[in-house]
Amino acid sequence: MTKGALLIARNNSQVDYVKQAAFCANRIVQHLDIPVSLITDSAEYAEQFDVFDNVIEIQNQNNYHHKNYNDGLWSRTTLEFKNTSRCDVYELTPYDQTLLMDTDVILGNDHMKHVFAQQNDLLLYKDATELSNWRDLSEFDYISPNSIDFYWATVVYFNKSKITKTFFDLVKHIQENWFHYRNLYQIKNATFRNDFAFSIAVHIMNGYTQNKFVGKMPGTLYYTLDADVCHNINENRFQFLIEKQTSDGYFPAVTNNSTVHIMNKFSLNRVIDES
Amino acid sequence: MSLNFTIFAQNSTYDYVQQASLAAMSIRLTNPDSKICLITNDTVPEKYAQLFEHVVPIPFGDKSKNTTWKIENRWKIYHATPFEETAVIDSDMLVLNDLSHWKTALDKHDLYYVNKVQTYRGEWADNTYYRKSFRNHNLPNLYAGFHWFKRCDFSHNFYKWLELVMNNWELFYGQYAGGKYFQKFPSIDVSSAIVCKILQIENVITNDATFPTFTHMKLKSQGWNKLYVDNWQEQVGTYLDNDCNLTIGNFRQQGIFHYTEKSFCNDNIISTYERKLGI
Repeated sequence: MTKGALLIARNNSQVDYVKQAAFCANRIVQHLDIPVSLITDSAEYAEQFDVFDNVIEIQNQNNYHHKNYNDGLWSRTTLEFKNTSRCDVYELTPYDQTLLMDTDVILGNDHMKHVFAQQNDLLLYKDATELSNWRDLSEFDYISPNSIDFYWATVVYFNKSKITKTFFDLVKHIQENWFHYRNLYQIKNATFRNDFAFSIAVHIMNGYTQNKFVGKMPGTLYYTLDADVCHNINENRFQFLIEKQTSDGYFPAVTNNSTVHIMNKFSLNRVIDES
Repeated sequence: MSLNFTIFAQNSTYDYVQQASLAAMSIRLTNPDSKICLITNDTVPEKYAQLFEHVVPIPFGDKSKNTTWKIENRWKIYHATPFEETAVIDSDMLVLNDLSHWKTALDKHDLYYVNKVQTYRGEWADNTYYRKSFRNHNLPNLYAGFHWFKRCDFSHNFYKWLELVMNNWELFYGQYAGGKYFQKFPSIDVSSAIVCKILQIENVITNDATFPTFTHMKLKSQGWNKLYVDNWQEQVGTYLDNDCNLTIGNFRQQGIFHYTEKSFCNDNIISTYERKLGI
């Protein structure tokens, strides 16, 4: 059984996801000691980074949309958001056991190595811990107020099996029929979001009930929003500036030996450049 | 081995016999080997009478002549049902699955009460809003909406105490459920909890098992953060397909569904069950 991590990086005009992916991959190799493959539409550029076991090229499709990217509290820009390749990972992964991660998930420990020594075909985080401790995070409980449980598609473990193939086929179907599913599950925002598609697919695979189709990822996934700023990454000590409740500034926060999903891509890339 | 069911229905301004008939149709569909007893003094329409193996009158007179909720006679269920062992369900419930596997769990008890219920999402419900007297007076969190008994000395004793508490509810509620949240009317849940506390049998008649339980559609127990409506049917949709599979919002319902709102038992729901059963 082959095992490895898989990242997806599709650059837009301002965010270098490939560079993030290389940084992320180095941390994966360091903490989990597994090979890392990259799915990208910038293969030639990605080949410059020698950390990747495989660079899997996909065509630069035009099926993207736009969303707001914040860089802390006082900078916002609207950019292309290319998030439509995630449903293809089952076909594209070179591994029997795959740890699929966003490029902005930065490992601070080896907890995720346990995914390769358990029996579930599919693991997701249902809960993650946000660092501000004051925000209303009910949007991460359910995908809409009356609807189904929210699951993070940020980190996904899956093995090659008939049932996980069905799951990813279902995610693809939901993506292709997003208008319908968005209405069915009362999602206000029109932008396609993998978290929602994965959550809906889990719900369907559970027979439209609470059930146990998906297992829990090991350890705690922390996250900061893009209104926060990643200030420094020094080994496994991460420093952040977190938005104050009054939104007129930041307070400092530090994590040690924790894995953090850093949503402010600009600040993460600045930290990578400085490292 | 199938469960036998007993349903109590006493019409007031509302037709509880119709609710009980709908409940019986749902049992017939999902638990065809179950026997059903209806306890009522009201007329059962001919087409529904066939659903019940037994239709028996409420014994010992009518204790609720002057009340609208008609709760005062509920302690008589034990004495009226012809079954040696039976599940008792509220009339405003649907049974959506074969529950015969519950029998194994229930057989370990002479008397069993549900002590936690679920939301339409299948999560454990927080019923604090409706159960202040339970919390404030440390009463066992029992739900009579589904309970079970075998005819035996233990159950007989329990129901004799239940009779005593319900017939003297002001006295017992003042002592065991009084103070700020003193209840102004009797309830079968509070009465059962008081009896349980007096007899100190909580560990005997209930436990933390994940089933039996039921989905309790009390509006403020569904985990909704923001409510702008007065009933749950305005908050989420109800979808009953031609095979009587029930979906609430995005969730397929299973087990026992306690719809609580009378308007749920409408012509569409009833006629769907009637068509499915050929009634």
